[in-house]
Parts: sequence; structure tokens; C-alpha cells
Amino acid sequence: MEKYEKLEKVGEGTYGKVYKAKDKSTGQLVALKKTRLEMDEEGIPPTALREISLLQMLSQTLYIVRLLCVEHTDKNGKPLLYLVFEYLDTDLKKYIDTYRKGANPHPMPPSVIQSFLYQLCKGVAYCHSHSVLHRDLKPQNLLVDKEKGILKIADLGLGRAFTVPLKSYTHEIVTLWYRAPEVLLGSTHYSTGVDMWSVGCIFAEMARRQALFPGDSELQQLLHIFRLLGTPTEEQWPGVSALRDWHEYPHWKPQNLARVVPSLEPEGVDLLSKMLQYAPADRISAKEALDHPYFDSLDKSQF
Amino acid sequence: MAANFWASTHYKQLQEQEEVDVVHSPDKERGVTLDEFKLIKMHMATYIWKLAQFVKVRQRVIATAVTYMRRVYARKSMTEYDPRLVAPACLYLASKAEESTVQARLLVFYIKKQYTDEKYRFEIKDILEMEMKILEALDYYLVVYHPYRPLSQLLQDAGMTDVTQLSWGLVNDTYKMDLILIYPPYMIALACIYIASVLKDKDTTAWLEELRVDMNVVKNISMEILEFYDNFRPITDDRINAVLNKLALKPQ
Repeated sequence: MEKYEKLEKVGEGTYGKVYKAKDKSTGQLVALKKTRLEMDEEGIPPTALREISLLQMLSQTLYIVRLLCVEHTDKNGKPLLYLVFEYLDTDLKKYIDTYRKGANPHPMPPSVIQSFLYQLCKGVAYCHSHSVLHRDLKPQNLLVDKEKGILKIADLGLGRAFTVPLKSYTHEIVTLWYRAPEVLLGSTHYSTGVDMWSVGCIFAEMARRQALFPGDSELQQLLHIFRLLGTPTEEQWPGVSALRDWHEYPHWKPQNLARVVPSLEPEGVDLLSKMLQYAPADRISAKEALDHPYFDSLDKSQF
Repeated sequence: MAANFWASTHYKQLQEQEEVDVVHSPDKERGVTLDEFKLIKMHMATYIWKLAQFVKVRQRVIATAVTYMRRVYARKSMTEYDPRLVAPACLYLASKAEESTVQARLLVFYIKKQYTDEKYRFEIKDILEMEMKILEALDYYLVVYHPYRPLSQLLQDAGMTDVTQLSWGLVNDTYKMDLILIYPPYMIALACIYIASVLKDKDTTAWLEELRVDMNVVKNISMEILEFYDNFRPITDDRINAVLNKLALKPQ
């Protein structure tokens, strides 16, 4: 690890600290993700293994953060594993915050929202074409290069876990804001639709500069969704009332989606509504989304 | 992990038979022949399978473990990587990668049950250390595709689900060879179906033609499998130990 000079801690991943560092020989900036290795018990955590093998497979596309290499080292006789990723200067959460906070708050430029959403759909489509679900898409997990206008998906650690944990190892609550209703209702057989729901929430958040469904408990999260989109019915979503955590809820009527994203053009609202369909099978796929008219005005040749 | 095999690292890592059939120099210097090298790999595949029966993991985990073991020996010598440790460590690693983690202490327990021979005995820390070495030898490429899924799909397509058991068994046996390092899993599945159809006197000519695959490859794989059965003789501990003892010698 002498190859790298640690510069600063930039975050806490789901299972370890992340540092910004510099490759001493090339000057290249990298993100070092330390994985906690409990070698006395069960060796390398399976989550880390899965992340590594998924990333090895997926990091061949531009829209997923690239795993440059894996470094194995010892610290006081304890083995440590570092994942070395390409470095991007910020994430989408911080990026949105710059438009919301500060002296001069103003909306994100529509062309940036459009381009970021397109790149996000590209990355998600790539994951899905490899039968990989991300399951924890959120603005914090989307890395952004402000200068180049690039967005990439990161933190695939949950990529194959069967259940999404409520708490990470630091006991920090995992955010529920982007979680699909079928997951909240206890469905165990969910699919690519869970990611598309998250993409929809992220899309709306870029347009609003604040979260669409900021719930702080699973019930509250559902109520936030139901208040906006209406309480789902069997007709809309066959089988919903048979899901494990389904209860009788107040019968809310759907609101006009355009009202919560006033700055978004009609094509954008249409795409958003297709991402936020209740029945997972009715939700637009990432691949279909790329062909939606909302992106007609985007210069796709750059991607 | 399913779906896109053609875009996978597995596909990109496929090797030529001649590349796989190389006895690494430390082993060669100790007098190990190609046949002996193959024998040890076959024995270790069986060992992995036996351990897997104890710890109860799916066939897929076994197949992945054997593939890891074979990939390790496509790159590393048996002198440096003791097969008696590599085999259980590959099973351990595969169980994690395939989401059905087996505890290291359980593995150690069953190893002791399986072998009284001191040389097979390892502690948890040995397994964990070897896990790390294997990961590096594999360059952290852990995604492996297997013929099982294409097999079911192809049998459905051919309307030959009645030979499922026979062809599934054939696929299991292909892991006693290095086929998984050399051919796409889909082609291995086809070869097994082809053999099964010949054995059961079913005509698959028209169906195979429609698939538009390179039948020469399918036939080559089938030949190799049949040759394997023809030449098979029981692996005795004596034969295995003779090779393993060579590895412990000083280079000649």
C-alpha cells in the first residue's frame, strides 16, 4: 500500500471506510475502500467478495465506477483488503445540495438532469443485462464528475444479497427513501423493478432538489408513497393485498404527479410516472427508458 | 450469476487446451507428468464433491469450487499450492461467492472426518490464508458460468426433458476434466445432450442443425467426455500419494 498516499477520508461505505488517495508513481487520484477483514473468524466477508466479483464483471462499462485493482496487505499481522477505484470528486447527493443550499439556490439545469438520468439508466440497464440488481440505488451511491458531467453507479456491495439490511455495520440506518413498495411490503421475490423505482425517486429528487418520499420508518415510507400515488388497489397491482406486510391503509386518491415536479417538462413527468408504477411488472425497464421521448432532445452520440 | 456469458470475464478467460495442459516447472522438476497432474486435479474435484456432501451445498457451489481449483492450477504449481489445502479452500471461497457460506470450522471438522492422514489436516487459519492466495491467483475473478442452466433450457427446447437426469449426470462428470476452462458452458451442455441422445437412441440431428452451432466443437467435447469414460480407472490412494509425495521432494 506504499504505492498510495492517503489524502482524506471521504466516506463510510456499507462495510468500510473510503479514502481519497494518490497513486504516488502516476499521480492518479483513486478512492481506496478498506474492507474489514475478520480473518480470525471467517476470512473475507462475503459482501466484499461479491462486490469484487460483480465489479470485476461490471466495471467494463463507463457508467459503473471502475475497479482498478485489489490490494492485499497486512497491518500488524492482520490482513487488509483495499479496493482501488477510480476517483470522482463528488456524489449526486452533494451535487444536488449545491443547488439547494448556499447563497444562490437555483434548479439543476434540465439538460444536466436529462443527461444524468440517461447515464443512470445506462448503468442500470448494464447491471440488469448481467442479471445483477443493485438494490440500494440512492444519490449518495451515484458518483459525479462535475467538470465532465459524468455520473457513475457505485457501491454494489448489496448487489446480490437476498435481503436489504436495515442497518449497516455502523448501525447507521440505511435510507428507505428510494425503496420500492414491494420491498417495503415484504415481498421476497422482487426483481429489476426495485432499481427502477429508485431511479424514479432519484429523477424526481434532481428535479425537486429534495427527496420525493422522505420516510423515516417503513410504515411512514409507505404512507408517503400512498399519499402521492394513491393507495394501491388489487386492480392496479394484482396480489398486493397478499404481500406479507400488507395491512388496511387509508384510501388515498392519486395526486397529480406533475405538481410535485413543477420544473419538469411533460415528457419527463410521463417517464417518471412509468418508473413509479405500483405493479413491478408494469414499471418501465432501464432499457426501455433509454428510448423514452424524454431523451429525444439529448445528444446520445456522446454516450 | 446468469445471463450474459458472452460479456463475462469467464468468456474472456477461456483458454486453449494446450495452455491448460501445462505442468508448471516446479512440479515438472519434481518429476510430475501431465497424466499425474490431471489425476490430482480429478482427485481433488472428487474431494471437493465429498466435502460438499457433508456441508450440504448446492451442485452449483461444487461446480464453482472445482472451476476455481482448475483455474488455480492453470496458473500455479501444485508444489507451491498444496492441492490438499487448495481443494477445501476453493470450496470455502465458492460457498461465499455463491451466497451459501460454509463456516471454516465446519469444513475443518469434516476434513478430519474424511481423512485420517496427517497431510490432509489443516486448521482454520490455513484455509483462510489459502483463500487469500487463491483470490490473488484468480485475480479476483469469481464469476463462473456453468452448463446447468443452459442444459435445462436446451432440453426444454429440444423436448427431451426425459433425459434430464442422464445429461445432468454427464455435466457433473465434465468437472472431472478441464472442459470448463476451455469451452463455453453452453457448448458443454450441448455435448452432454448429444451423448445422452445417442445413448437413448434419440434423433437430434434436425434440432441441432437449427441451433446453428459449430457441431465440430460439440463433437470434440463429446469425444473428450467419451474418452474420459473409456480410460477411467478407479483412483486409488496409492496412486494419489505417489504423486503428492513427489511434490514434497527436492527438485531433480
